[in-house]
Amino acid sequence: MKTLNYRLRQKLDEVYSVQPNDLGIPVLTNMYHFVTKFFKTMPFILIIPSSFVGALILYLLFGTLTIKLVSILQYGF
Amino acid sequence: MDFKNAIANLLASSVFFLRNIFLLIFSPYRTMRNISRGKDFGQAFLIFLTVFLYFKFVYFLRDDPYPATITFLVFILHFLFTMAFFYFLGGVSNNKIKIPGFILTFSYTLIPTLFWFVSNSILYVFIPPPRSYSILGKGFSIFYISYSISLLTWKLILIYLALRFSTKLGFYRIMYLMILFLLWFIPYSVFLFHFKIFRIPFI
Repeated sequence: MKTLNYRLRQKLDEVYSVQPNDLGIPVLTNMYHFVTKFFKTMPFILIIPSSFVGALILYLLFGTLTIKLVSILQYGF
Repeated sequence: MDFKNAIANLLASSVFFLRNIFLLIFSPYRTMRNISRGKDFGQAFLIFLTVFLYFKFVYFLRDDPYPATITFLVFILHFLFTMAFFYFLGGVSNNKIKIPGFILTFSYTLIPTLFWFVSNSILYVFIPPPRSYSILGKGFSIFYISYSISLLTWKLILIYLALRFSTKLGFYRIMYLMILFLLWFIPYSVFLFHFKIFRIPFI
């Protein structure tokens, strides 16, 4: 039982190691909490489709410049 | 006996290292929080060893390269500058920064960079640039850009979480720090590009 208490206290210490973010305006704070919950676990579920859409938009906006950018980036290692 | 202990510690660190990389993909918040409470420098050593091996590997791919040791030393130098920058500016309003957690979390932010650079150099071997304007070339370009954006986003998440858990700062202060960081890091990157040390800074 003592071990359970100890582990619970450790877990609570860990969870409350940082104060919750307050952005000053309640709407902003709520928005922050709403957005960040998608990045806390399994962020790639959101990141992969949105980055694909982002890349597609980049291609539609800049056309061949995007392809040149890829060539430059490929030399970037 | 000491040597055996060192090997055993390094093996244990490598297990945690692989586990943490895996968990940073699926649950970055929780994992970064755990890492910030750690003190196992073996994991940081393994990250830097992997980076060094990467520099050794690309030495054979680059045209007219600097020796891997020099690029690694430059990388270590700007990594230390970055850490010192965040440590001192983050510590201005908060003296509770724990150095082991700070070093470990910042070392783990190198993982997306390492993924991108390693995959980029492998792609350079199998699908060398320049890209063509055919349908396949355009398709690959869109895939490549989206892959790069994904890793950049992951990297930004990890940097934010590293700063959040190691310095305990709030959102606004972290954003100020990042903007201040970019103010010196962008000219520094241009300097590195000019001297052909890094075309894209390894950070």
